[in-house]
Amino acid sequence: MIKAFLLTSILLGWNYIFAQDAQVLLRQVVDKIELVKDYSANVQITADIPLIKILPSKAKIYFKGPDKFKVVSKGIAILPKQGFTDMNLFLSKPDDYMVVFAGKKMIESVETTLLTVIANESDAEIILVKLWVDASRRLIMASEITTRSSGNVKIDYKYANNKSFDLPSRIKFTVDVKEFKMPKSFSTNPHKTNKSKVNKRKTGTIELLISNYKVNQGIANSFFVK
Amino acid sequence: MLLKNTWNELVKILAKPRSYIGFGALTLLIGIILLAMKADGKSFISFVTASFEQTLSFNGEILNGNLMAFVILQMLIIHVPLLVALVTGDLVSGEAAMGTLRMMATKPISRSAILGSKLLAGAIYTFLLTLWMAFMAYGVGQWMFGVGDLIVLNSDGLVVLPADDIMWRYFYGFGLAFLSLLAVATMSICFSVFSDNSIGPIVSTMAVIILFTIIGSLDVASFVSIQPFLLTTHMASWRSLFEMPVPVDDILSSIYILLFHIIAFAGIAFWRFNKKDINT
Repeated sequence: MIKAFLLTSILLGWNYIFAQDAQVLLRQVVDKIELVKDYSANVQITADIPLIKILPSKAKIYFKGPDKFKVVSKGIAILPKQGFTDMNLFLSKPDDYMVVFAGKKMIESVETTLLTVIANESDAEIILVKLWVDASRRLIMASEITTRSSGNVKIDYKYANNKSFDLPSRIKFTVDVKEFKMPKSFSTNPHKTNKSKVNKRKTGTIELLISNYKVNQGIANSFFVK
Repeated sequence: MLLKNTWNELVKILAKPRSYIGFGALTLLIGIILLAMKADGKSFISFVTASFEQTLSFNGEILNGNLMAFVILQMLIIHVPLLVALVTGDLVSGEAAMGTLRMMATKPISRSAILGSKLLAGAIYTFLLTLWMAFMAYGVGQWMFGVGDLIVLNSDGLVVLPADDIMWRYFYGFGLAFLSLLAVATMSICFSVFSDNSIGPIVSTMAVIILFTIIGSLDVASFVSIQPFLLTTHMASWRSLFEMPVPVDDILSSIYILLFHIIAFAGIAFWRFNKKDINT
């Protein structure tokens, strides 16, 4: 009985220590992210999504913490709905989630720590976030967001010149693609039949090459008003 | 003689009030569509992109002049044949009804030249109507909504075409629309040769268009084999110009089929007109 009690206590203590470590690490990462109050940058967007044909496009993105985000493009630019501001916003509220250490993984020769962040509220939009963190540099190398309405979004980050601000030079989103139904009146074409429309692919990717960051130079709130 | 008579035919077309119904109707229809889109176009856009918007966000000015031209061309290509047939269906039968055809046949001009000039005049009228539609849809649309990338919903999904890669597509698109309407014009002139009153050819032309459209839209096994040869099937071939990549061979096959219809209807009209007893 005493042995069982001791074993349970040790395991719980061990878990608590790990949870504390995970929380500290996540706090450090979030603190680093929050150093960026605002930024603007040029992006080249390359989308490879089932049922959408679009050439690479250029745009300018603007961000102001905690959740203001705007895309300015001459043409049409397709971006994922999730993954830009919502994750940062979610992580900036430690009372809304619990975080657990979930192992280690090598990502492109970098050892990363997997943190699993679980929402406390059962009806929260973001249910779960997995973060693969380079603990030594406090950088998020990859993440996976599970949302209530938009399914899963996997995000891979690459960093070049903005390591100090934790701003990536390349972001690759992998998004879940639901089965889209085309209204027949919009798809009449004598050279295409609906039978030829077979696309089994369920995920799409959107890659952003980001350059020319201008960080913490101040962007007015009115700029983000639509 | 052919060109002089073609000019005479054009003057006759211009003298008839019904010739302006097409231009008036196009101006009114396109004007209404453009104004409605200006007022409430955002909801139309969300209808197009709704299926994708749960996962993706579309940034940029989707509601622009290029999209307007596409929407208008799609809406009107099935209805404009009526406006064409209203004039071209009357070219021979109208004269037969008025008794002027008999007088024309007494002049030193061959029957083939008489019909040829009517076909040419009909083609010019159709061209002008298409040009007006292009001006209203593309020109006025760009003026009201500006330029931008074109987002097109087709059977393969969404295609987003960059703004600088669109103008040539509309140039050929309206060219294909003209070819489709020319086929309709030739058909109505062919019907007109068989009739001595104006209503018959106009109504017959519209009946054929409606019948072919219904046959073309029904997914019934027995119709599937004839659908590729129907005139109305290829009236929508302009849409293929907005694919990525453009299926050139498919478009060419549509052009050949439309040309075949034009030549066949014109051939039947010439054959009939040259043998026709002109009693009125």
